[in-house]
Amino acid sequence: MPKKMPKKKEAILKAATVLFANKGFTDTSMHELSELTGAAEGTIFYHFKNKEHLLLTILQTTNESIVEEFDRFIDGREFKNGLHMVEEIVSFYLYLAGIMEFQFLLLQRHYLYKFVAENQDFRSSLEEFYNCISDMFEKAIVRGQQDGSIGNVHPRKTALILFTMVDGVVRFKNFNLYDAGALFNDLIESCRKMLKPDGETAR
Amino acid sequence: MSIACIFSGLYCEADEIASAVLDRTGADIISDKDVVARAAALSGMNEDRIGKAFFAGTSIFNRFSHEKERATSWLRLAAAELLTEKENAVMHGFSAQLPPESISHLLRTCVIANVQYRLDVAEKLGITQAEAKRHITKGDEDRASWTKETRNEDDPWKASLYDLVIPVDKTGVKDAAEQILEQLANPAVKPTASSAKAVQDFLLAARVETSLAGSGHHVGVAARDGKVTIIINKNVLMLERLERELKELASKVDGVKDVDTKVGPNFHQSDIYRKVDFELPNKVLLVDDEREFVQTLSERLMLRDMGSAVAYDGESALDLVADDDPEVIVLDLKMPGIDGIEVLRRVKAMRPEVQVIILTGHGSEEDRDVCMKLGAFAYLHKPVDIETLSETIKKAHEAAAV
Repeated sequence: MPKKMPKKKEAILKAATVLFANKGFTDTSMHELSELTGAAEGTIFYHFKNKEHLLLTILQTTNESIVEEFDRFIDGREFKNGLHMVEEIVSFYLYLAGIMEFQFLLLQRHYLYKFVAENQDFRSSLEEFYNCISDMFEKAIVRGQQDGSIGNVHPRKTALILFTMVDGVVRFKNFNLYDAGALFNDLIESCRKMLKPDGETAR
Repeated sequence: MSIACIFSGLYCEADEIASAVLDRTGADIISDKDVVARAAALSGMNEDRIGKAFFAGTSIFNRFSHEKERATSWLRLAAAELLTEKENAVMHGFSAQLPPESISHLLRTCVIANVQYRLDVAEKLGITQAEAKRHITKGDEDRASWTKETRNEDDPWKASLYDLVIPVDKTGVKDAAEQILEQLANPAVKPTASSAKAVQDFLLAARVETSLAGSGHHVGVAARDGKVTIIINKNVLMLERLERELKELASKVDGVKDVDTKVGPNFHQSDIYRKVDFELPNKVLLVDDEREFVQTLSERLMLRDMGSAVAYDGESALDLVADDDPEVIVLDLKMPGIDGIEVLRRVKAMRPEVQVIILTGHGSEEDRDVCMKLGAFAYLHKPVDIETLSETIKKAHEAAAV
């Protein structure tokens, strides 16, 4: 994927993300996309071979921008200790879910994962995304165990538990289950309790 | 004493009007700066960040953490506090939209003028016309989004929002101030026991709102005689659970006698997406080295709802084809550097489905044949009738769609 995309291609991707995230794959038509963006259907097909290719491109660009955002976030920051890093990753994940609402909603649609069985590109893209987030949590936990801010938990498994927790909060918001923003403070508190060093009682 | 609230358009001399009223009444000013400073002190948030809540666009604001709504709730509390502290005041700026309609001793005033008048005012301030136009467009956009947020009305200049609308282009500054002074003496805006109570209720509602915002909840809050109503405008499946939590939190705020919740009109928001939700690049690219001609053409096409980009030479035209991805190009043949025929050749080789309309002042029959052979959609001569051109562009766009 080239770094600089033509503006129209970008606009098509943006609109398609909203449609795929909200209506699903089969219920989104190229005709509707053309009406919404004002781009001729010919133009859409010039940029994307077919609907599946369009979905894959969305997935790949989403993946790239999330990984990039996280890299930039980690690089530019000093963490007091491993626990602090875990908390910051949780906050940043929620922050991204807020500004990339439709991309995260798309990532929570089941049909996306059915493409994995047939299409290697879908597989690697999704795998890369889940690995990136899990690795970051794991790294933070290992660091916390070295500096004593995190107790004796299984880093790899605990990383996945943290990930499902924060992703679950995003799901509560995306599916309009609850006012998820209100859960933030308690989410952070739960992470602290879960990771606290052995023998220490939570504050 | 009644309080004058003045909301105004940019370059409508509202500052001058406000200071004329201040001079005559000896009132205190409550400016946006004062409200922002108080909100910052109350919340611990940074002044710049709070002040951004006045402006349209939510790019720096997060939909998850609702920073804009949080900032607005603190602004509301700040405005409520300042209103209880000052009996004799002029509230001027965006803040003028914050107090609820239930406070009857506020004289809600809107100061506005026609565009020409506003441009003239800007010119006196040494601002170029083009720049002033941009400021006015952006300024009106900000005011529309703020009025929507605070008073749930799309049109910031709608007369029914105000007690007094002053077209300053017709009245002038002096007369505008006179009108405000005259209306301030109107018995309808005199403070009464019930309007004083309404200010207390505004303060209470704002305190509940900020307290709920502190726990991450963003809801509308109204109060009457210490009885608080919470309005939920967000579609939530577990509504009963949310209502319980909100009631529990709100009843802890000092002065709250009773709490009720209700679902607002935005609760059942359907997922309808419109064209305006997406920022779209231009469909038409105009290529001509006669700058004035293309600029006029571009403005005229804009009026016909056809966004256009402009290039003054062949090379930048080709760059724009790659970057802006237009569907129709209007191309002059005679240009410095790469000429029109070469641009046409390259565009058609690169993107055959892009339709190219040749528009030339000096082309020969021979040129016409070459162009049509290369795949031009149409060949038009200058001067061209704008109707003919936009009709041709429309047809070309339809052809590009196939």
